Amino acid sequence: MKTMSVTANLSAQDRYGRQLAAYLDASAQQLPHDISERLRVARQQALGKYREVQIRETASTSLGGGVAALGGGEDERGLWPRLVSLIPLLALIAGLVTIQMVGTEQIAEELAELDAAILTDDLPPDAYSDPGFAQFLKARIDQLRQD
Amino acid sequence: MATEQELSEFLKSVEKRAFKRSVYHVRNDEAALDIVQDSMMKLVEHYSHKPPEELPMLFQRILSNTTLDWFRRQKTRNALFSNLGDFESEGDDGEFNLLENLDSSDASTQVESAESSTQRAQIFREIEMEIQELPARQREAFLMRYWEELDVAETAAAMGCSEGSVKTHCSRAVQALNKALRAKGIQL
Repeated sequence: MKTMSVTANLSAQDRYGRQLAAYLDASAQQLPHDISERLRVARQQALGKYREVQIRETASTSLGGGVAALGGGEDERGLWPRLVSLIPLLALIAGLVTIQMVGTEQIAEELAELDAAILTDDLPPDAYSDPGFAQFLKARIDQLRQD
Repeated sequence: MATEQELSEFLKSVEKRAFKRSVYHVRNDEAALDIVQDSMMKLVEHYSHKPPEELPMLFQRILSNTTLDWFRRQKTRNALFSNLGDFESEGDDGEFNLLENLDSSDASTQVESAESSTQRAQIFREIEMEIQELPARQREAFLMRYWEELDVAETAAAMGCSEGSVKTHCSRAVQALNKALRAKGIQL
């Protein structure tokens, strides 16, 4: 019985609320012309914003890959695009390290070849520090040039 | 995702009620227009990817939050406004009453007599004044529940409170309005 009474009260309350809302609706339809116009302009501006948002989203979707490859872009991109954008930098570092290693190895090989040639020659290495031998070599070179 | 056409129709369907709702809260046409425009912008900027059926609920929430932001800004500007429920009435010369009366007279001459038109406009005015006099939360709950036709759960979600609070606010609002309008001799 109590429940029925509460329900009846609630429905009466809802009915009254809706009656009031109907009056408010009627009142809202009678807005002054300038207010209606300004609301229309506000709506048009919002729709203009909607178009801007659409264009921006389309552009960011189509350019997303390219931007990621160049390493730039917005912070709102995900983790993977950001990791992908690091690939060119890593490749550059790896290339520089490889060039450095190859260069060092070449120099070491050249020095080793030179040392090996000097050590395996019939002439002892001490001969190159002997002034008489240096004079002999110079005279020999001059003679070869004259011939 | 809502298309431009759907968004346009939705905004058109809610803009007048949103404006009036804001006016009831802030009691200033210019501020109410700004609030409605800001709310529309926020909706399309952040939620245009949502399906059309979610837009009414989202818009109500945005409108409420934008109105609250307006009050917060006012509060920092003017220390007199310390509580949303403590506003004093601005007086008898409400800013839209005269225009509404004139406008309503123009519109109703085709179907109503001048006397009933004036009477009707007077009722509108009295109802709106009483709604403005309600405490902010009661007014918010009443307008969402009965004017925007949100159900209790949706109203609670939009207001960020429990369903029980919504029922209480609505019940008190209806009782207060009923009592005040009866006292003025207005029977709906």
